[in-house]
Amino acid sequence: MPSWAPLTDDQLAEQRRGLSEEQLQQRRIVNINSETVTDVSGTDIPGHYGPGQDDTWDLNRFAQNLKIDYHQNKPNDAAFSLIGVDASIANAFRRIMLAEIPTLAIEDVFIFDNTSIIQDEVLAHRLGLIPLTGGKAGLDQLGWFKKPPPKDDYAAQAMYDQDDLPASASTPNDHNTIVVSLLVDCRWATIDEDGRDGKQLAKDGETDPAVRYVNSNIYAHQLVFEPQGDQTKWFDGENAIKPVNPDILIAKLRPGQRINLRCHCIKGLGMDHAKFSPVATASYRLLPSIDITAPIVGIEAKKFQRCFPRGVIALEKDANSGETKAVVADPMKDTVSRECLRHDEFKGKVKLGRIRDHFIFSVESTGQFESDELFLESVRLLKKKAEKFKRHLTELEEGR
Amino acid sequence: MIIPIRCFSCGKVIADLYERYVQLISTPHNDEGDLTPDGEAMDQLGLNRYCCRRMVLTHVDLIEKLLRYNPAEREIVKLGQRQ
Repeated sequence: MPSWAPLTDDQLAEQRRGLSEEQLQQRRIVNINSETVTDVSGTDIPGHYGPGQDDTWDLNRFAQNLKIDYHQNKPNDAAFSLIGVDASIANAFRRIMLAEIPTLAIEDVFIFDNTSIIQDEVLAHRLGLIPLTGGKAGLDQLGWFKKPPPKDDYAAQAMYDQDDLPASASTPNDHNTIVVSLLVDCRWATIDEDGRDGKQLAKDGETDPAVRYVNSNIYAHQLVFEPQGDQTKWFDGENAIKPVNPDILIAKLRPGQRINLRCHCIKGLGMDHAKFSPVATASYRLLPSIDITAPIVGIEAKKFQRCFPRGVIALEKDANSGETKAVVADPMKDTVSRECLRHDEFKGKVKLGRIRDHFIFSVESTGQFESDELFLESVRLLKKKAEKFKRHLTELEEGR
Repeated sequence: MIIPIRCFSCGKVIADLYERYVQLISTPHNDEGDLTPDGEAMDQLGLNRYCCRRMVLTHVDLIEKLLRYNPAEREIVKLGQRQ
């Protein structure tokens, strides 16, 4: 039988037996040496370890190895471990979370009056960055608003014509646009309306603008949602569209200044503008691995402990010799600073590395979705993309 | 000029934290009248990354200066004097 012939189940089992757990574990590690980093690429490619072995991708084996552990799951901050996938998949999830999950944000601002010292364009930009939230079901059914291209941009026009969205998607309506307005007037506080005389207080030396004036600061909660048509049904009561953080400072005014504007909010993607990104950060790092190959004891153990962030290395009493011994307590807290590799006394006693398929994700939502929900959404989107790609491949094969 | 809505680098909303930050670092937090150090104040507000920390730490609130030049306000004062 040629060496490249597929292995039978018996042969496979034999081979698995041949590889110790330790050897299999060693394959997962990226070595971090004092000056270099080695074994960076994944090895789970068929044929990597020569013809005698079967490295074909197997769904059962994958399902066995795949693991997701949540370390922390707060609505706007989640940390979890994704174990057993390739870096390309983990990175796909991260990038989808950053750039391809649709959210609602202010896109067009119609300014009727702005006598504040914040310029129109700056004000519009600030408004756009405010994260908005509302009823999930309502936001889900909200359609895309397709911005008509500029008249002199022929490339954009060609793209626009290719798109298969209906023409109605280019006119703002209750199915693709949400209207929010802001009308704020700043004035001196008066006895009649506010129970204090701002001008008198100012003469007496009061300097706090919040006391002297009314509406000297504009906050995000002053944005008024104006439901259109069907939206009264989708976004009523607690489902109303509102800013996630009510206390965002939008502008500051002084008496006589006024801001009056109307905003159109649309659904968009983070790849188009960062304001549509549902996460503040979505990032991952590999789990550090610290392997103490020879015992580190006594005063050296103490020094070894201080080479790492607090909590990574613990000191234990050795049962036989009665000396204190350094043991790895929590590698997850390590920052892989490699400090321990700089000292001669630890030479040959410790091996640093990272586990190639153990991704510690940290997802921080801006508030429209919950962080764990975002991860599931990214999985769903990647699946959808893969299905689409597969469909295109079959079409290609069939010559359509 | 005015505190940016989001952190330039990571996109975390910071405009709602700035006033609380100023409040924290300018009012005594114990009987001895000690002010909260900047770092501790930022920790309390949940600004963990150094990109978000520099946003509030190094911000100069120039708008407060510019707000003093308000022609409308001067007019109001003038009107008040005429009466």
